[in-house]
Amino acid sequence: MSRRIAVTGLGVVTPVGTGHEEMWRNLLAGRCGFSPVASFDTAAFSVHLGAEVQGFDAAPHVRVLDRERLGRASQFAIAAARLALADAGIDPAAVEGERAGIAMGTTSGEPREVERFDDRFLAGQLDQVGGEFMALYPCQSIAVHVACELGFGGVNTMIPAACAAGNYAIAHAMDVLRAGRAELMLAGGADAFSRITYTGFARLGAIAPERCQPFDRRRKGMIPGEGAGVLVLEPLDSARRRGARIYAELAGYGLSCDAHHMTAAHPEAEGAARAMWRALADAGLAHEAVSYISAHGTGTPTNDRLESLAMRRVYGPASRTPISSVKSMIGHTMGAASAIEAAVCALAVATDRIPPTMNLEEPEDDLDYVPNEARDHRVEVAMNNAYAFGGNNASVILRKVSAAEGGAAP
Amino acid sequence: MTRRVVVTGAGVVSPLGHSPAALHQALAERRSARRPIELFATAGIGCHEAGEIRPFDARAWVGERNLRPLDRTGRLLVVAAQLALADSGWSAELRARHEVGLVLGTMFCSIRTIAEFDRRGLQLGPTHVSPMDFANSVINAAAGQAAIWHGLRGVNSTLAAGEASGLLAIAQAADLIRGGRAAALLAGGAEELCFESFFGLFRAGRLCGSQDPEDPANIAAAGRARESPIPFDARRNGFSLSEGAALLMLEDAEAAAARGAVVQAELAGHGSAFDTSRGGPAGAAAMARAIRIALDDAGVSARDVDWVSASANGSMAGDRNEAAGIAAALGDHAAGLPVTAVKAMLGEALGASGALQAVELIAGLRDGVLPGILGLEATEDGFPLSGLSAETRRLPPGAARCALATALSADGHCSALVFAAPERQGGDFHAAPSGEGPA
Repeated sequence: MSRRIAVTGLGVVTPVGTGHEEMWRNLLAGRCGFSPVASFDTAAFSVHLGAEVQGFDAAPHVRVLDRERLGRASQFAIAAARLALADAGIDPAAVEGERAGIAMGTTSGEPREVERFDDRFLAGQLDQVGGEFMALYPCQSIAVHVACELGFGGVNTMIPAACAAGNYAIAHAMDVLRAGRAELMLAGGADAFSRITYTGFARLGAIAPERCQPFDRRRKGMIPGEGAGVLVLEPLDSARRRGARIYAELAGYGLSCDAHHMTAAHPEAEGAARAMWRALADAGLAHEAVSYISAHGTGTPTNDRLESLAMRRVYGPASRTPISSVKSMIGHTMGAASAIEAAVCALAVATDRIPPTMNLEEPEDDLDYVPNEARDHRVEVAMNNAYAFGGNNASVILRKVSAAEGGAAP
Repeated sequence: MTRRVVVTGAGVVSPLGHSPAALHQALAERRSARRPIELFATAGIGCHEAGEIRPFDARAWVGERNLRPLDRTGRLLVVAAQLALADSGWSAELRARHEVGLVLGTMFCSIRTIAEFDRRGLQLGPTHVSPMDFANSVINAAAGQAAIWHGLRGVNSTLAAGEASGLLAIAQAADLIRGGRAAALLAGGAEELCFESFFGLFRAGRLCGSQDPEDPANIAAAGRARESPIPFDARRNGFSLSEGAALLMLEDAEAAAARGAVVQAELAGHGSAFDTSRGGPAGAAAMARAIRIALDDAGVSARDVDWVSASANGSMAGDRNEAAGIAAALGDHAAGLPVTAVKAMLGEALGASGALQAVELIAGLRDGVLPGILGLEATEDGFPLSGLSAETRRLPPGAARCALATALSADGHCSALVFAAPERQGGDFHAAPSGEGPA
């Protein structure tokens, strides 16, 4: 019998709030975190909006490492990790570090470090590049920095699976815990706002000029963002023993690859459906048991159409299962997105509330996208979907834990 | 209860040959991969050699299919995957009926693609960048491209852990198979040689040749070894950067048997740990922990290990910690135990290097030939391993049954894998670990 895995802590850094309380309040109120891009000049672009984390202060979170020697994504990740541990009531100094691990996802790692290198390259100032470039840039530095800050010497995994990376990291952490390779895992994702990412999505015509409207017929694209999300995962039995508040059980996951196109989803949503079916089978659930779907829902014309098709394939043509995309408010935080959305699912399961899909005026079709207003709804089971460049599909399922089993009271 | 994981094929593209047999031969002959770099100009960098794969033309393997969407890392990987699929008998027809997945270790995927994309946007404006280049700017690009190229519809995961990426990717794939989440996975690593990483690692002082040769401290400590990496040698002062791609085909043992696959080795167990001191003396303890977990996971004891393939690459702290960790974990058995360090010849191929080690280790399980450590003369005082050899050795027939591959990254990732020769399947290596009854 596999060990059951509990979600006992949530930490987020997002464009609509740092800490899950602030983020959740804003999501339920339908507040969006978009503003003109501040981290670089967008004069040469035809779009200018971004979802940057404003006024982020790493000081309260980064206590061991030198903040000056950390990339922005690492700072986000450490903040999210510390917030998640505090939320779980775990003092990292009291943890047996060798049995505690880190699994993080990202799209770009620390893109600002390679951007700084490029600035110097073009300015003919490569002589100013020192050892910090290779110390800060490689993407694994995110998981490395979190582990060093907290003193966690167990499994350390960095999964750069692009925009599905958060779910990939959570899935990996679940396997690590099930196999008994750790007693505590911090799992999630982090990404920093990047000129490279913005340039690429702008070139693809995928950035919306004014607002993000997932699943709306007139949607014009996504809004790139940044942030981090971290979940505290531990075996359900030990979480109960220590009297932890349990948001949800991490009940299963499914991964697949389209093997079709680097940036476009499979035209019949074959891989996305396969990941959902696999996650349901892993959790031992029928699709009827799912009470909420947190969609990838980027707001790009193609993603949302094919994602709706995938959900119809799995949930049936007459499905009324509520679906929402918080990217309508948070933007697309890349490798952090599905980790933040997993935290959203945990909050939905724990509180029986569903955040809305904002800016939805003319729905794509008659699926229930929870338009524009949060909803009170019993959430027994939530499915978190994420899709990525490379044709990667990842679905993760969270399930309510009854109060008798130590579950959180809504 | 636990599924067993077997190796049914391998594919390799390396500066020392493009098949496991060619690589094994070159390593046994201790041929160095170091040569003058032609891929990019090294003027102004105090180091001019690396393990460049030359010539490398992917068309020699994949024919006339359109290679334009693939950067160098993508091409190296697509070729290695083709070779591994062919070696294991996973035809396109078979792949259409059964899912094959991929778990790839890489450090940068292609930092060159990423940086050139950015520079083009800066120089010509954001409308002049190529969407195709953007697709390759994500770190899982090579894995995605290989999936498209070969129709790999299963799990597609990329893992980044510096020099330990390859072994950790193989370990992750093994757990996906053990957990019943996949039946067949290509697993290994890929990394290209390019200016950005070469220059960055040079400036970080990590390449042999990074140190200022005029600095008296360097002349005293390591002057003679300046331009050649010598793992474990007292004169080491950095690694030789290299490139390549290597993949194992890992399968659930029962599924492999059912399709009549030839088993080349068994991946009996693995373990990992992280050194939060990042290269401090605590690294030895983390390395030892990873090895103990791997032995326990494989259900073998230290005395079952016939040799160790180490990741030592000429780094000062890394080699010392890896040696100390191996010695601590294997105890008395470590005395005189053969320990190889193929990076003396191959150099450090970063994300690909652990997978190259694994491919070479499996070749050693077949014929008992253990490559010597090119250039090794003397280790430091108090060096804990006595089984190093500058010369290539051959173990007696039947003595190459079980070997340990270890990797330690500069960032502190420790990984250990236990491989066993196939004839030992069902033998005494696989008795249930004590305290654990039949499932």
